[in-house]
Amino acid sequence: MAEVVLRGVSKHYGETAALDDMSMTVADGAFVVLLGPTGAGKTTTLRLIAGLEAPDGGDILIGGRSVLRDTPAERDVAMVFQQYSLYPHLSVRDNLAFPLRSPALRTPEAEITRKVAEVAEVLHISHKLDNKATALSGGEMQRVSIGRALVRAPQLFLMDEPLSSLDAKLRADLRVELKRIHASLGRTLLYVTHDQIEAMTMATEVGVLDQGRLVQFGTPREIYESPVSLYVAARLGQPRINALPAGLFGGAPRGAKTIGLRPEHIRLGEGRDAEVVRVERLGDQTRLHLRLDGHDIVTLTDPHSDLETGDSLAITPRDALYFDASGNRLS
Amino acid sequence: MPETAMDRAASATPPGIARRVRGLSDRAIAWLFVAPTIFLLLAINIFPLIWTIRLSFTNFRANRPNADVEWVGLRNYQRILSDPEIWQTMQATAHFLFWTLFFQVLIGFALAWLINAKFRSSNFWTTVIVLPMMLSPAVVGNFWTFLYQPQIGLFNYVVAFVSGADPTSFSMIGDVPLAPWAIVIVDTWMWTPFVMLICLAGLRSIPESIYEAAECDRASKWRQFWTITVPMVLPFLMLAVLFRGIENFKMFDLVVQLTGGGPGSTTELTSINLKREAFEKWRTGYASAYAVILFVTVFGLASIYVKALNKVKER
Repeated sequence: MAEVVLRGVSKHYGETAALDDMSMTVADGAFVVLLGPTGAGKTTTLRLIAGLEAPDGGDILIGGRSVLRDTPAERDVAMVFQQYSLYPHLSVRDNLAFPLRSPALRTPEAEITRKVAEVAEVLHISHKLDNKATALSGGEMQRVSIGRALVRAPQLFLMDEPLSSLDAKLRADLRVELKRIHASLGRTLLYVTHDQIEAMTMATEVGVLDQGRLVQFGTPREIYESPVSLYVAARLGQPRINALPAGLFGGAPRGAKTIGLRPEHIRLGEGRDAEVVRVERLGDQTRLHLRLDGHDIVTLTDPHSDLETGDSLAITPRDALYFDASGNRLS
Repeated sequence: MPETAMDRAASATPPGIARRVRGLSDRAIAWLFVAPTIFLLLAINIFPLIWTIRLSFTNFRANRPNADVEWVGLRNYQRILSDPEIWQTMQATAHFLFWTLFFQVLIGFALAWLINAKFRSSNFWTTVIVLPMMLSPAVVGNFWTFLYQPQIGLFNYVVAFVSGADPTSFSMIGDVPLAPWAIVIVDTWMWTPFVMLICLAGLRSIPESIYEAAECDRASKWRQFWTITVPMVLPFLMLAVLFRGIENFKMFDLVVQLTGGGPGSTTELTSINLKREAFEKWRTGYASAYAVILFVTVFGLASIYVKALNKVKER
C-alpha cells in the first residue's frame, strides 16, 4: 500500500511560499500528474514527499504512516530529477546498478545484472551500458535517470518532468512505456509536467497547482471538461481556451465576466461574422486565427478547409464555459 | 571620395616603415613575438641544462676555473649512486616527502570537508586556515625555531602541558629522532591550507542534486562519501599531491632556516646536500651529475604520476 496523503503542507523559502496549506490524496497505484506553471510548487511537492526537504507545517503520510521523521531512504521512493543527476564518474551500468547495490538490499550480483539488462532493454540503452554517464546525449542521460528509478521497484515513483528533454518520437515511445510499466508494476506514481499530452494520456488523476495551492484534483477528463476556474481551464487544451468578454455573443448567465471557448465550443458557419487572420495547416488539422470585435480567437477546422486569410466566417458558441470576475467557473 | 581620419592616419605613416611592416609575413610576425621568450628560455633553462649535463662528465670545479678539466665519463654517477651518505639524504627526503604528503592530504581533505559543510563562520575560518600559506618560508622557518625552543618555545610548552613531560627534556630541532618530524610538522602547518583549498574546489564542484539522487537511491552517508565524494574529488586531490610533491622534493628554504640540515645530517634533504657539494665543496662536476640524477628522478616520477592522474580523470 502506498497511498500518499498531504495534509495542510506548507513550505516557505524565505518570504516566498512554495506550498501553502496544500492537501491532496493520491490513491494507491494511481498515476497522478501535477500541472502548473513554473513556481506553482510542483517540484517542491515532489521534494517534500521524497524527504529531500522538510515541510514548515502539515503532515505527509505514505501508506497510512507519517513519514516526516523518515529519511528519503526509509521512505522507499525513487525520484527522477529534471537535471538527470547521474553519477558522472560511473558507467551507465553502474549508474543503473547503484540503487540495487545498497548494502541493506543485499541483491545478488546475478540479479543486479539481470535487472539492469532488463531496464536497459526497455529504455533502449542496452548498447550504451559500458559508456560513461557523461558521454551520453541529453535524452540518453534522462533515460538512464528513469532507469535508475525503475530497477528498484519502490512503493512510490516521483518524476520531475522526466521527458522534457527528449525528442518528440522518443517522448511518445517513453510515454507508452511508462504507462505500460505503471500498469504492470501497479505502483503509485507522481509526475510533474508542463506537457498536456503527457497529462491527458498517462494520468489517472491530474492535480492543478496555483501558487502553492491545489486548485483542482480530478481525472484528466474532469479537469478538461469542467475546470473550476479559468486558470485551470487554461492549463489543458491545445490550442488554449479562448477567454473573451462574456457579452460578445449574448446569452451569458448573470455575473459572467468571461466566456471560455475551446475549439469544440465554437460552431462554425452560423452566428457572428469573424475575420480570418491566419490559417495554419498542421496536416491532421487546420488552425484558424480569427478576429471578432478586436478580440483574437483561435479554433480548429477541417484539415481540408479552403478558408484563406481575409475570408469571413460566422461563429457561435456551443456549451461554452462561463467565469465570474475573479475567474471562478459559473455552473 | 572625401578623406577620412583613417586615410589621413595611414598616409601619415612614413612609406619606408609601412613597406617594411607590410613586407613581413604572418609567420615572421609570429616569430617576432615569440622570439624573446624562446631566447630567454634557451638562455636560462635549456642552455644551463645542457651545460650541466656536459659538466657532469667532468671533474670541473667552479672555484678553479683555470685548472685543467678532465673528462671522467660516468665516474661521477658511479660515485654518487654508491655513496651511502647520499642514499641517506635520499632517505631523509623520502621520509619528508611521504609524511608531509600524507598529513597534508589527510588534514587538508578533512578541513575542506568541514569547511564545505558551510557552518556560520566558515568563511572566516577559511581565511584563518589559509594564512600560513601566505607567509614567506624564511619567516615561517624563523618563528618555528622560536616555537621549538626547549626553554621558551610554545610548542614544547604545549606538548609538555598535554603529556606532562618536562619541556626542556626534548628539543625538536636538536634531537636526532625528532628533527625529521620537526620539519614535517612545519611544512604540514604551512602547506595543508593549499591542499585544503584544492580539495574544497573539488568538493564544491559536486552538484548537490547528485547527493539527493543518492539519498533517494538509499545510499548511506558513508556510501555516499566513498562512492561519490571520494571518486569525484580524487582528480583534484591528486593534482594537489603532484604540486606538493614536486615542491617538497626540492625543499630548501624552510629546512635551511629551521635546522640547516642538522643535527648531523639527519634533516639534510637532497637539495641542501646538493647545494653543499656545489657551493661549499665546489665539486661542480660531481654536483652536476647529482643534479641530473635528481632531475631525472623528479621528471620520471612526475610523468608516471601524471599518466595515472589522466587515467583517473578519464574514468
